[in-house]
Amino acid sequence: MTGQSTALKLLGLCALLAFPLMPFSSEYVLHVAVLIMVYAVLAMGLNVLPGFCDLLDLGYVGFYGIGAYTAGILSLNYDMSFWVVVPLAAALGALCGVLRGAPTLRLSGDYFAIVTFGFTELVVLFLTNEIWLTRGPLGMPGIPPIDINLSWLGIDWRYDFMSETPYYYLGLLMVAFVYVVMCRIEDSRLGRAWLSIKEDPLAAASCGINLMAYKSVAFAFSAAVGALAGCFMARWSMFLAPDVFKFWESFLVLCMIVLGGLGNINGAIVGSVVLIALGEVLRVVLPHFGLPTETRFLAYGLLMILIMRFKPGGIFPAIAATSKKSRLIMDLKARLQAERAG
Amino acid sequence: MNFKRGLVMALAMAAFLAVGNLAMAADVIKIAVPSPFTGSAAGYGDNVKAGVSMKVDEINAKGGVNGMKVEAVYFDEQCDPKEAATVGTKIAGDKDLVAIVGHLCSGAHLAALPNYVRTGVAALSPTATNVTISDKGKDSKGLYWSFRNVYLDDFQGVFLADYMSKVLGLKKVAVFYENNDYGIGLKDAFLKQAKAIGLTIVGEEAYMKGATDFTPQLTKLKGAAPDALFISGYYSEAALISDQAKKLGMNVPKFGADGMDNADYIKLGGPAADNTYLTTPFLAETAGPDAKAFIDAYKAKFKRDVDWMSANAYDAAGMILEAVSKVGADRAKIREYLASINTKEKAYKGITGLTYFNEKGDCVKPAYVKMVKNGQFVPAEKQMTN
Amino acid sequence: MFEQQLFNGLTLGLIYALIAVGYTMVYGVIELINFAHGEVYMFGAFLCVTIINSLGVPLFPAMVLAMGLCALMGVSIDHIAYKPLRKAPRLAALITAIGVSIFLQNIAMIIWGSRPVPFTRSAVPAAFSEQAFALGSVSVSGLQLFIYLFTTAMMIGLTLIINKTKVGTAMRALAQNATAAALMGINVNRVIAFTFALGSSLGAAAGILVAMYYNTMSATMGYNAGVKAFAAAVLGGIGSVPGAMLGGVVLGVAETLGAGYVSSQYRDGLGYAVMIAVILLRPSGLLGKSVGQKA
Repeated sequence: MTGQSTALKLLGLCALLAFPLMPFSSEYVLHVAVLIMVYAVLAMGLNVLPGFCDLLDLGYVGFYGIGAYTAGILSLNYDMSFWVVVPLAAALGALCGVLRGAPTLRLSGDYFAIVTFGFTELVVLFLTNEIWLTRGPLGMPGIPPIDINLSWLGIDWRYDFMSETPYYYLGLLMVAFVYVVMCRIEDSRLGRAWLSIKEDPLAAASCGINLMAYKSVAFAFSAAVGALAGCFMARWSMFLAPDVFKFWESFLVLCMIVLGGLGNINGAIVGSVVLIALGEVLRVVLPHFGLPTETRFLAYGLLMILIMRFKPGGIFPAIAATSKKSRLIMDLKARLQAERAG
Repeated sequence: MNFKRGLVMALAMAAFLAVGNLAMAADVIKIAVPSPFTGSAAGYGDNVKAGVSMKVDEINAKGGVNGMKVEAVYFDEQCDPKEAATVGTKIAGDKDLVAIVGHLCSGAHLAALPNYVRTGVAALSPTATNVTISDKGKDSKGLYWSFRNVYLDDFQGVFLADYMSKVLGLKKVAVFYENNDYGIGLKDAFLKQAKAIGLTIVGEEAYMKGATDFTPQLTKLKGAAPDALFISGYYSEAALISDQAKKLGMNVPKFGADGMDNADYIKLGGPAADNTYLTTPFLAETAGPDAKAFIDAYKAKFKRDVDWMSANAYDAAGMILEAVSKVGADRAKIREYLASINTKEKAYKGITGLTYFNEKGDCVKPAYVKMVKNGQFVPAEKQMTN
Repeated sequence: MFEQQLFNGLTLGLIYALIAVGYTMVYGVIELINFAHGEVYMFGAFLCVTIINSLGVPLFPAMVLAMGLCALMGVSIDHIAYKPLRKAPRLAALITAIGVSIFLQNIAMIIWGSRPVPFTRSAVPAAFSEQAFALGSVSVSGLQLFIYLFTTAMMIGLTLIINKTKVGTAMRALAQNATAAALMGINVNRVIAFTFALGSSLGAAAGILVAMYYNTMSATMGYNAGVKAFAAAVLGGIGSVPGAMLGGVVLGVAETLGAGYVSSQYRDGLGYAVMIAVILLRPSGLLGKSVGQKA
């Protein structure tokens, strides 16, 4: 933690801020950059359950879908502003998160994985079949872009997000916000409680940690972040269809955090950058070999198996350490790691 | 550590930028063709590609447009709205692409359209039949950027109801529809017309895309003893429906629209595919002399019979390139030119007949009926005379 | 009509049961949800058709061959992917299982394409597509009759293996207490391999029957069937073999009746809803032992 690393960080921040002004950036490049940010938020949100609490969530995009459709329906039918929709969608997401987790609170983690699996499928079925509400497989076109409207302050000023650039900056803000919150929580009482539940639930309960309450908070928090990403995505892509929220997406996000290392916030971001960029490269490369673009999931599947087998801490275990401030927790984690390896 | 992370990021970024910005020479005219070339709809995408490539080769053999070679750039969007939105920004951002032939699927077309409207590039779909598209092509100045040289679902639904009742004299019809934009739009138009002309609907059931077991719904429909089964959906499910209907002893004629018009319908359905009637925008047997040359050349080149998607894509590419030859490689002027084709007199004469647009970029085209007989597509004996 | 739906549902249910026992047996011995099981089922169908088409082998030998290959495949999956993780945290094995499933599905997509493929029509005996018998308004085809007989025979065989043979006893011992079983001289890894082989070959048989019954197969077919069979296993009580059989039949019949009388759009949702309801109300399932909180 020297001045040098601070300087590097500042430099990186400047580069990120100046990115849209660079000659090589185009609408397409920015579009992919924004896509990366959406997935970075999803990956950080998903990370809460498998990473902090050791619960495998196989249906995370369900919340992404709930957030996106909440934003879509409220914006399209009631003409609500993005800034009003965000808290509403996040709250609904949190509620669904608690409801989804509730049946499994007393059971082993396997049951949680199964329930989450069924949950997304039910969400997608609901979005597909309740045509009166969601327009079903027709999809929902014509969602308005995000705007900043100051008329409520009595100032006649309005800005519409008409290109990728404003979304890029807003996305950056969103990633930064979620990142900071995640880092604070990881080092807080809440984060430590989750860690203790993950490592030894029995001991945690004996120390007076209310397992059910802390787990429920994790469910709600993780889901709310997913809904936030969905909200942003809806007003950015301006089109929603139920197919966007299928199991494959959950898998992709899971793959990102496995790549970055479970429980590693920095890793989640790196994982999303690598996999989305890789996906775009493979989109161009695969057809040259006569392979369908979906086969990129072959690589993802293999990647997951290999990482779990040989590098369970992710491919960048080192970067996890950079965000930590509490020496106590760091020492504890190192000891637990050593114990497991030995 | 920071260095390592930075390196990984930089490498990922560099690889991705390299792919995004493959610069190319500028003295060719490039048109974008976004369609599914992989995935479950890839068969359709191949047809569109074949049609467009025929037109492009033909024009290039004659020396190109205004002395410049023409190149079709194909983009794979797998008929997936999310992929289509990404591909859409890519196309809209590449100013070398003067216009678009696509998308193939209505859902993908709808998802990508906001990009085209925002940046101002005309998209002419040879195949997207969904009704909703009409209203989504308008920009803030009231200009429409979406065109299509295929008829709409509501037209097919009305046509089929008329054909069943007036030409074949059927009385009771059971309806089996796929629960998506295409299936519902088509079914609704059909039901409305059926009601208007006194065709009795004895049952109405839905199914999901990708389903394999249709026996519960078919058992129920069979109980209503219909004269005919109208399947409002795509070929892969329709083939299974025909097969399972036959196994249940439901031997009635089947009806469908463009979504079932694929050789795989016969391959998957086997003998059960017989006695199926389909609407089609293009029938090789009834086409004019221009089309005959195309049909022969197509068969020689691709070793298969021409289908309507190839024919429509051929004409769509033809319209775009005619626009380029008249007004130059300018996105806005190409749109203006296409929009100006708005009466029968100004219509584009292609192999699929006359094409001209209404104020929303939609068009009216004649429909024909073909049927499956002994494992082959043949024109139906009775066509409807408009 | 109701009776007809019931018989059609029974056909589907018996097939689910055949897949579900594979899940439940593996869960019984190593407490792992083997997500790749649905893919083994899919491979069974594709391998059978490939053997028929390229080697000209008749249906029944091809079926046996495909089941054998899938048994081998199941054992290899365990050996390569799961075995190294026996002592790792459970999450690692679960994630690996998902990875294997996705990997296999995409391999199949590369080999056989992503479009649906019909079952080789000429290889199916003509009697299968004809009516075998009729009871009042109910008509049962030759293939349906074959499915009833075949699956029942398989289940009886399986029950005998588990209850009457040495390896079956070892499997049960392992499910009770793996450490104690090992201490009693049971070769744990060999018993696990046997369990995978047995479950996978039954899954493959189910895949072949489904492909024949609906006359179609696709690389993605394992996903849906896998989830539903898993729901059946949960319904019956995960870890319980008779429970999985009962769960499969109940789910298949419920699904068919639901699609026929309630809502065909939510038909796939029924499986998930049943699964969640069982976990909520009776986590031990219909025939399972009670489950408590497991660390």
